Amino acid sequence: MAAIALAPSAPLLEIDKLEVSLFTRRGVLPAIDGLSLTVSAGETLAIVGESGCGKSLAALSVMRLLPEPPAKIVGGAIRFMGRDLAGLSDREMQRVRGKDISMIFQDPMTSLNPVITIGDQLIEAIRCHADVSRKEASNRAVEMLRRVRIPDAERRLNDYPHQMSGGMSQRVMIAMAIACGPKLLIADEPTTALDVTIQAQILDLMKDVQTDTGMGLIIITHDLGVVAETADRVVVMYAGRKVEEAPVEGLFERPLHRYTRGLLGATPSAQRQGDRLVEITGSVPALENLPTGCAFQNRCPDAFDRCRAERPVLKPLLPHRTAACFAAEEELSRDVAAIGS
Amino acid sequence: MLSLTIDFARRFARNRAALVGFALVILVIGVALAAPWLFPRNPLRIVGKPEIWPFVSSRYPLGTDSLGRDIAAMIAYGARTTLLIGVCASLTATIIGISVGATAAYFGGWVDELLMRFTELFQTIPNLIFVLTIVAILGQKIEYVTIAVGIVTWTPIARLTRAEFMSLRDREFVQACRAMGMGNLRIMFGEILPNALPPVIVLSSLVIAGAVLFESAVSFLGLGDPNVSSWGRLIGDGRTLIRSSWYICAVPGLAIMLTVLALNLVGDGLNDALNPKLRDR
Repeated sequence: MAAIALAPSAPLLEIDKLEVSLFTRRGVLPAIDGLSLTVSAGETLAIVGESGCGKSLAALSVMRLLPEPPAKIVGGAIRFMGRDLAGLSDREMQRVRGKDISMIFQDPMTSLNPVITIGDQLIEAIRCHADVSRKEASNRAVEMLRRVRIPDAERRLNDYPHQMSGGMSQRVMIAMAIACGPKLLIADEPTTALDVTIQAQILDLMKDVQTDTGMGLIIITHDLGVVAETADRVVVMYAGRKVEEAPVEGLFERPLHRYTRGLLGATPSAQRQGDRLVEITGSVPALENLPTGCAFQNRCPDAFDRCRAERPVLKPLLPHRTAACFAAEEELSRDVAAIGS
Repeated sequence: MLSLTIDFARRFARNRAALVGFALVILVIGVALAAPWLFPRNPLRIVGKPEIWPFVSSRYPLGTDSLGRDIAAMIAYGARTTLLIGVCASLTATIIGISVGATAAYFGGWVDELLMRFTELFQTIPNLIFVLTIVAILGQKIEYVTIAVGIVTWTPIARLTRAEFMSLRDREFVQACRAMGMGNLRIMFGEILPNALPPVIVLSSLVIAGAVLFESAVSFLGLGDPNVSSWGRLIGDGRTLIRSSWYICAVPGLAIMLTVLALNLVGDGLNDALNPKLRDR
């Protein structure tokens, strides 16, 4: 770990063994358990998983916007450009938000203030971090709206959010998020609330902005289509833990963890037309009664004794790839044996 | 913005009673503004014979009181006092109420706990006695009466603001503002407050009506500012003659009743116009 931190191409964001617990009446629940990941400038990382697996909490932890109580960071570190974010004062963190790290949310229609014009909201966002006059901020707002390809930008400034479509609203949200030139953008389910036709446009837009600015991008999603279209690297989360990490091509070619396999099997694709979609049976175990051993064991088609007795840890199973799955380990060692014989 | 204003006016005008109330309020404001022009002399001067009944003398259309002062002039100047105290007291109450309610709801936890117990403390003190105590301590001046009325009427505004803020605090757009790096004060007053304001405006307009009544009560009991004419004081002065010259009490009484009624009607109309649930879109 230390060697990586000293390397010249240090990652933009480094989450190191992050632990987030929910302090509830039912006890202390491990919502995120030892999550580690890195994002570099210009790179797109996708975090994939079902609802409740801790992906949004991870994003909010980075922004230090966890709903406290009940959620609280209880362990690990989050370093942004080498700075530990946990060590910053509230005021310093405020300066990081929006300027260094921005975030966009799932539902653009509810993420904009309903009683303020989008122009004023953009101007506010710009003046949050840049000491400029209203006039200048207004000019920059128009420029930002053009950049996210909103036609007729000057006139749109006076619109209220309810006068805009979902896609347009999400463009405005992106404009606000990138208004102060952040180095990292976290998009929490940015296209989930949008029409399929609009989804691709928004993803394209984000990729274009990323190409222009070289910012790091974290896309949180449960949609593998989004992953395939945008990501360089993928982190798969299940029940608060990272279960697999892989470059995007590798993941789609050969998913290692049985959960990843399940996700891919449950996603429609053009290549497998006619095939039935395979659902993952059962549901995510509740955090208060996670089984000993692998959290996925009760839904896993390949689970065996070891999975029930022992919790698998992340191991580098293939080049650039890690997974926490005994079944995948067995399978790979069988492959090696087959090649050897 | 213009279309929103027109939209607002149309919804307000749909409530006929509110229109009547609005007209009455405008009339009272008009009389208050025109008072120095209609009655150039000090209204507290003795101008004629005492106890001239209304509609008897053309010089004193509303008659004169027990000292021979022109009741019409006192009503007109009283409107100034009454409205000034009503509006300023409501403004004071609104500012205190919004600050307390917004802070309590936004920060939650022990801040909320502390501020709400503080609010309840104020609610448990009988209002009129509290006003009289404050005026008795600070002195009989119009500013102090205003402050006193403001101090006793802010609690419902604080509770309403708190409730509104509670439901808005966890909305996604507030989260988005935080993620943008906005500070707490800016989020509270720049982002959440505009959303919470409509019901607060309605309540504030009703607080004006309450403040008018408080002012009248204080003046009636002789604790008002002795140097200004006021409706409550006129009633108080006239009460000894209520069996013979009852009009001395009745005329200002009617003025208070109509003004308070009108303010309440306007409040209702504002509620209709500002309540998003009643919008037909």
